[in-house]
Amino acid sequence: MNHGRRDTPHTPDDQGTAADSHTALRLEAVRKVYRLGDDDVVALHHADLRVGADEIVALVGPSGSGKTTLCSIAGAILSPTAGRVVVGEQDITEFGESELSRVRRESVGFVFQAVNLVPFLTARENLLVIDELGSRNRSAARARADQLLDELGLADRASNLPSQLSGGQRQRVAIGRALMNEPSLVLFDEPTSALDTQLGEKVMELIRHEMKARGTAAVIVTHDERMTHYADRVVHITDGVLAA
Amino acid sequence: MRLALQEMRRRPGRFVTATAILTLIALLLLFLGGLLDGLIGSATSAISGQTGDVITFSSTSQSSLPSSRVGGAVRSEIAGVPGVERVGGLGVTQVGARVPGRSERDLVDVALFGYELPPAGLGVPPDRAKAYADTSLRAKGVAAGGTILLGPARTPITIAGFVDGLRYGGQGTLWASPETWRVVQAANRPDAASAVDVFQAFVVRGDGSVRAAELARRIDDATRGSTSSRTTAAAADAQPGVEQQRSTFNQIIGATVGVAIVVVALFFALLIVERTALYGVLKAIGARSRTLFGGVVTQAIVVSLLASAIGALLALVAALTVPAGSIPFSLSPARVLGTVALLVLAAILGCSFSLRRVLRIDPASAIGTAS
Amino acid sequence: MYLATREMMRAKVRYGLLMAAIGLLVFLILFQQTLQSGLLDAFVGAVRSQSAPVLVFSVDGRRNFQGSVVTPPLEASIRRVDGVGRAGQIGVRNLPARAGGKLTQVALIGYEVEGLGSPGRLTAGRLPAATDEVVASDANRGDGFDIGQKVRIEPGGRELEVVGLAPDAQLLVTPTLYGSYDTLTEAVRAFNPSATDRPLSSAIGVGPAAGFAPSELASRINAANADADALTATDAAAATPGVFQVRQSFQIILLLYALVVPFVTGLFFLIITFQKANALTLLRAVGAPRCRLATALLVQVALVMLGGIALGTLLYAPLASQRLGGLVFHFQAGAVLFWSVLLLSLGLLSALLSVRRVLAIDPVGATTGAGVAR
Repeated sequence: MNHGRRDTPHTPDDQGTAADSHTALRLEAVRKVYRLGDDDVVALHHADLRVGADEIVALVGPSGSGKTTLCSIAGAILSPTAGRVVVGEQDITEFGESELSRVRRESVGFVFQAVNLVPFLTARENLLVIDELGSRNRSAARARADQLLDELGLADRASNLPSQLSGGQRQRVAIGRALMNEPSLVLFDEPTSALDTQLGEKVMELIRHEMKARGTAAVIVTHDERMTHYADRVVHITDGVLAA
Repeated sequence: MRLALQEMRRRPGRFVTATAILTLIALLLLFLGGLLDGLIGSATSAISGQTGDVITFSSTSQSSLPSSRVGGAVRSEIAGVPGVERVGGLGVTQVGARVPGRSERDLVDVALFGYELPPAGLGVPPDRAKAYADTSLRAKGVAAGGTILLGPARTPITIAGFVDGLRYGGQGTLWASPETWRVVQAANRPDAASAVDVFQAFVVRGDGSVRAAELARRIDDATRGSTSSRTTAAAADAQPGVEQQRSTFNQIIGATVGVAIVVVALFFALLIVERTALYGVLKAIGARSRTLFGGVVTQAIVVSLLASAIGALLALVAALTVPAGSIPFSLSPARVLGTVALLVLAAILGCSFSLRRVLRIDPASAIGTAS
Repeated sequence: MYLATREMMRAKVRYGLLMAAIGLLVFLILFQQTLQSGLLDAFVGAVRSQSAPVLVFSVDGRRNFQGSVVTPPLEASIRRVDGVGRAGQIGVRNLPARAGGKLTQVALIGYEVEGLGSPGRLTAGRLPAATDEVVASDANRGDGFDIGQKVRIEPGGRELEVVGLAPDAQLLVTPTLYGSYDTLTEAVRAFNPSATDRPLSSAIGVGPAAGFAPSELASRINAANADADALTATDAAAATPGVFQVRQSFQIILLLYALVVPFVTGLFFLIITFQKANALTLLRAVGAPRCRLATALLVQVALVMLGGIALGTLLYAPLASQRLGGLVFHFQAGAVLFWSVLLLSLGLLSALLSVRRVLAIDPVGATTGAGVAR
């Protein structure tokens, strides 16, 4: 699905607003503090990040650097302690739990580290879960799922259960699921951590191809520097501090 | 919801044991309920089958026919009460019957009723020395046209035909004219013999102008407290032991439903622990807790419905194979539906214990974890 | 043991729920076992505990006091049977009566000869010495049947004073009064003026002559007269109509409950084993022997079962000394022991499927992740 954003010129220093169609994600002075017993642990220090509408950003950092927190805030799973978060055209900073759920259902796609497909559903049904959760148009969803599976080269695997698919195929189903809701932003959590270098590169190629073809923005969380050249831009994070 | 049903279809194995346990519990509930209905039916259906609106006993009888005596004077008083259309006498004698084809020592327990107003399924009383028999007596060898001998006096009674579902005190019944009843009673239980106008109770039919409970009150007022009148249904419930049986069985049924609730709670609590990671992922991609919990409830309902269906089938088979006259077991559609409803309710309540667990699952757990 | 208890302490809710379920089931089983005994006691206690070694009903009486009428010719023929030592009439009538201000049904048992139909044992007081004195069933002492209280037969107004209390003496779940045969005659006459002179007896209580056993005497009486139905007191109680049905119904109910227990336990441990396959694989990989893990599982099953049994018994104990309507319950230590052993064995058996699963775990799975597969 082409959103017509494919040829939108990307200007990194563009001063967008909440309604800025050139920006998929905007974090402004985002801070996240966890309470751990009697102590406050700062997971994210005044993070500023802007991801263009069709931009692929690699977020690189060691374990415990705040990658997961940043990814969760960007994906409308967590709310920041301070700062402002804009996903697509929506300022979600003050959103409550149910509104955040809706944003995740409608505007964000996720590909998890462990792929995490529903084990008792076929490849096609794993894509249709998104429609099921949002209770949207059944026939349109079926058409979209078939199209995505076709585009991802999984048409002949549509009725296979995850246990009958290879690692790469499962990854592709997960990407298909992330794209079902035509998101403006897809978050990839360590997509290659469980794969060998060769398969890892294939998957990264696939991600880049699919994202660019659709003009969809992506944030890829990784600690594997070898994979960063597939991104348009690399952002480093250490101890909760972002550095371009 | 579709997700929940798909899981049950694709992974039936994990629901088999829970279904089996609930099936056993459904069978238990149906058996307990059927036994209660059977016991009460076999003790009181001759009373509840009366077509009158009110039954009048003597005031000290506690609605027990053998302990009650009402005479002609009371009858006239009842007939004079506004709203009363007809009054019919009723009396019973419990004796042993010698049935052709059975050994001399193998007697059949029967309760011979003398009646004036016909109960459900009967017409006017048969001629002298004849009686209609309850169908439960067929299994004991009683046949239409045959003659059985009642009591130590061997009073002969010829069976004029059969009537369904009228039992008393756990015995099959015979329905005869008041004269026949008096003859059998005088010959076999002389110390309980009644004068010609004396009955054990009067069955009263109203003209429809007042409610039965009101009619009962008016009758007792008219007899200045010498009678105790109850609606037909209340009179059946007031038979000795009925209330105690019902409350004891209902308490056992209640506790069994409690077990069902705990079993369902346990099963789904474990199932949800197992699904925590999956629910985390589904929440991360936008599933509402409501949707996920709805799926759990759907599964609980399906499991309990399935268990009820198998349980009902087994109970039905049991009901058909129980030899007539061994265990008083009666399975009515109302009992089956009631049990299904109870079990579904228990399932919903049971899985509700897992609501907090589902709500607590954090979508953030899906990110940054390898499994 | 360490592994087993550690895990249980960490998942208190889970194991607690299972224990609660088993406790509830054990409670239900024990309660119903007691209910059955209480019901039978209240049903035929008087038949069992009265003093006549042999009871002779009329065949027409279908082995119950209320239905049986022994005519004078039948009585005479019974008395003539060789082996009959003593014989006395026993008459039983159900009558309405007022006791403790409340109207109730009572079973009045009149005996002609003391020791043949009189109470076998008294917990308090003495046997009646006059026609207006009776012994009452101990179970009903709180309902206006205590020593010194008066019971009034209604209608008729005949008053009877309670002078003694007899244990286990109820008949058909109604309060029972024992008095002389003349007491019965006067009460029946007061209740039903149109009754004939003396009420016919319901049964004849018979004591065997020296050298005859009660069962032998019963057979002799039955052989001598086709209208006589002689039984020893114990047999008469067991043969009372309804007793067999009550026993059979309760047996089916108890069997079903007993089946639910191993099913619940089996299911629980199967799921638990399935869930912790990961941890078990790891433990195997670091060198835990198979039998150690299987033993830990069985220890858990035993602990949960014992906990459930203890809980069920605790719930049951206070109820076992209660009264329910006219029923009196007793704590049945034998039943507790029987069911504890049976349910513990069934519980352990039910866990065998889980044990098999534990034994089949391959430690290699910890390195490949295969053992962890869902």
